[in-house]
Amino acid sequence: MYLTVRNATKTYGPFTALDSVSIEIEQGEFVCLLGPSGCGKTTLLRLIAGLSRLDGGDILLEGAALSDLPARKRGFGIVFQSYSLFPNMTVAENIGYGLKIRGTSRSEMARRVAELLELVKLPDVADKYPGQLSGGQQQRIALARAIAVDPRLLLLDEPLSALDAKVRAELRGEILHVQRTLGIPTLMVTHDQEEALALADKIICMNHGVVVQAGTPEDLYQRPKTRFVAEFMGISNLLSTDAVRRAFPALLATRPEGPDDRVVACLRPEQIGLIPAPDGSATATVRGISFLGNLRRLEVDSAVGPLIVETHGAAPCREGDRVTLSIAPEACTWVADDMARQMAESPA
Amino acid sequence: MSAVETAASSARRGPDADRVLTFVCVGLPLLGLTLFFLYPMAVVFLRSVTVGDGYGFENYSRVLGSSGFWRATLHSMLMGGATTALSVLLGFIIAHGLHRCAFPGKWMIRGVIVLPLLAPSLVQALGLIFLLGRNGVISRALGIEIEIYGFWGLLIANTLYALPQAVMIIGAALVLLDARAYEAAEVMGASPSRQFRDLTLPAARFGLLNAAFVCFTITITDFGNAAVIGGDYSVLATEIYSQVVGQRNFNMGAVVGIMLLLPTVVSYAIERQAMKRQQTGQATGQVLYRPDFAPLRDIVMAALSLLICAAIVAVIGIVVYASFVTLWPYNMALSPKHYDIRLAGGYSSLWITIVISLMAASGGTLAVFLLGLGLRRLPRGAAQAIQMLAAMPAAVPGMVLGLAYILTFNSTATPLYLLYGTAALIAIINFYHYHTQSFLTLMTGFRQLPQALEEAAGSIGAGLGRTAIDIVAPFIAPMLVSVFFFLFMRSMVTLSAVVFLTTPDLSVAAVTIMRLDDAGLTSQAAAFSTCVMAVVCLALLSMKAILALMGRRRRTKGAA
Repeated sequence: MYLTVRNATKTYGPFTALDSVSIEIEQGEFVCLLGPSGCGKTTLLRLIAGLSRLDGGDILLEGAALSDLPARKRGFGIVFQSYSLFPNMTVAENIGYGLKIRGTSRSEMARRVAELLELVKLPDVADKYPGQLSGGQQQRIALARAIAVDPRLLLLDEPLSALDAKVRAELRGEILHVQRTLGIPTLMVTHDQEEALALADKIICMNHGVVVQAGTPEDLYQRPKTRFVAEFMGISNLLSTDAVRRAFPALLATRPEGPDDRVVACLRPEQIGLIPAPDGSATATVRGISFLGNLRRLEVDSAVGPLIVETHGAAPCREGDRVTLSIAPEACTWVADDMARQMAESPA
Repeated sequence: MSAVETAASSARRGPDADRVLTFVCVGLPLLGLTLFFLYPMAVVFLRSVTVGDGYGFENYSRVLGSSGFWRATLHSMLMGGATTALSVLLGFIIAHGLHRCAFPGKWMIRGVIVLPLLAPSLVQALGLIFLLGRNGVISRALGIEIEIYGFWGLLIANTLYALPQAVMIIGAALVLLDARAYEAAEVMGASPSRQFRDLTLPAARFGLLNAAFVCFTITITDFGNAAVIGGDYSVLATEIYSQVVGQRNFNMGAVVGIMLLLPTVVSYAIERQAMKRQQTGQATGQVLYRPDFAPLRDIVMAALSLLICAAIVAVIGIVVYASFVTLWPYNMALSPKHYDIRLAGGYSSLWITIVISLMAASGGTLAVFLLGLGLRRLPRGAAQAIQMLAAMPAAVPGMVLGLAYILTFNSTATPLYLLYGTAALIAIINFYHYHTQSFLTLMTGFRQLPQALEEAAGSIGAGLGRTAIDIVAPFIAPMLVSVFFFLFMRSMVTLSAVVFLTTPDLSVAAVTIMRLDDAGLTSQAAAFSTCVMAVVCLALLSMKAILALMGRRRRTKGAA
């Protein structure tokens, strides 16, 4: 294992930001720390960067403890949400700063800066100042600055959050391209599940200072372990055991043993099929349809309450149509109802 | 052993370089504050309770029992109150004119209003004597005799001296009020007078309060004007001087000093609170208010502003003019003969003052920079405690600090005695006298510096020293320049703190002016004042030029 975080704990007064968190990153891997704001993901990134100190646990890089090493000696690269380029230096000076500190020769530095500008597709801005660039350009330069020193680990702290949608999508591709080309193990913090799904080899989903689930994007989307993960990773229909027993008894086949309130069934909107049923066999009614370009999202009233269904291609039905629902038993994932337990713990 | 392990073990072996540097950054300025502020203040307090070989409050009962002390206290409070009322009123008129009215020539008002800051405080008094004194141009022109020495003369001189501060503080408060608020009020149908009552006044509320306390403190702690034009109207500052210099009674001087400290500490504490309240109202993305021309309002405000400025120009200008007059008021022909100053060491004190001011400015700027740098890396609690200490010197009147220094450094009890009578000690007292303003100015710069910038430098591999030089210093360079010139200019003109520390061999400009005036050489005092003002003006212009140059370079870099 390349980077190992073992039982990392960090508290701020009475508030526990990280509660014994353990994660692993392999050589060359792109890992996303995903979670809502306040879940501890940025705290974890800052601990790994050496920008704040652990209260408990270890961080190991290739088996060696990092805990006593100040940030500047870790040899990592970091990109912040706020770009954070040095305003008094040109683009070239910004990118070359880490090399200058390491005593790289002037000519070598110039060569490397040119190469990196080429890599982030901004070959002509070397002599500009950060204030003269757009947000997206600044963030590319920040990326180039971070990778200029051949970091042993690349840390990205919500690097796309300050950008508008189109630039964000572009830069997302850019980051992936650079990471794949150079094979730098990378840890990115984000609260955007779509971003995490698109970029990561592995997603670590966090909530309330603990890791809820870690796995491939497919794992987290299709096989969420808890209700929190299911709801965080896109839209899902969550049904209680009782509702499933009444409406879709076939789905009970995959249900794990245990009391009714322990687990809920998770059905992704695209896994529910709609069959028009003008006759008396209909079990549901289409309440509304939103056209989203590449797909249609339908709200359906059923015996178990409202469900969300997504279809590609032409609409199978219109608003007010009576339909029956088809769900393959293997499409249903039973997830632990961690939200109910949390609500029970904190009555507020 | 991998590279990481080598680095890790070396980090464990010795103390981390950054920690050492942080320690030095905080430790040195802290040591300075302790030695040159806390310790002397403790000494002055101890001396105030020293009776014979023991301690007791007899000095206090003696002072509190003397009618002279109560008269001086009453005078100080009266003078403080009257000056405050007058300068806040006039300051509000000018600030309101500058920020809320439309008339041409505002640049001139801005320029004139800072003039009193460029001269030692006693220059206002000198100017008034040339205008309204027995041989003053106005008195002679009108053929009347005005008793300018005493309350009225001192009131005008103090008001002129406090006015620039009032204008700046009230102006800063007015600028904060967004133009959109006025537009909204306009759309809702509020008349101009309503807008003034409901928007402008509430916005200026804390500014006015703040300005009032600043003006009050400036007035009761000022020595120069009181010494020159106060006449028999004794105030606390002159009372300390007469106890110490006149009667060589240091313990009693210390008592009066402590008594003067009380109102300034209270006033300063309230002022700080007012400032905090005002700052919380700040918003980003402001739209600057651009008033339209409203004849009635603007002509009246312009006339009033012009009148006030004319008074300032007259008082300062007459000093420059008088310095060239052959024999005031009998031979009004111009000649440079008063510039041939031989008494009180001639110009040597001017050169020494420039050297002292450069020392105070460079050493002081470095010290507050180090402190600001170190504070960012300290735990919150410790940083806040040190910030409080750093903000304390502003509450101490210059006279009291000067007295504390002479009691501390003119005593052979400690090796600090070596500093006594040196230019270095005067540079040091000037720095600590103006420590708070320098420190707070630089801290506003530091607050604008994003943490992520330093973190980015750190994760690339830059240590604290490198980050400070490559990233932090360029970022807050305008603040460093401002602090440097602020300390330089204050050191050039300050009188109250240094009046006790000058020796026959070592005098500073402001003290020389006072001595020349004492000796009846008023024209030479005017000439010397003019030289000091020229140096300070030059410094101010250099500062403006450097800041403008920096601003232009920043703009070409596109930074906001």
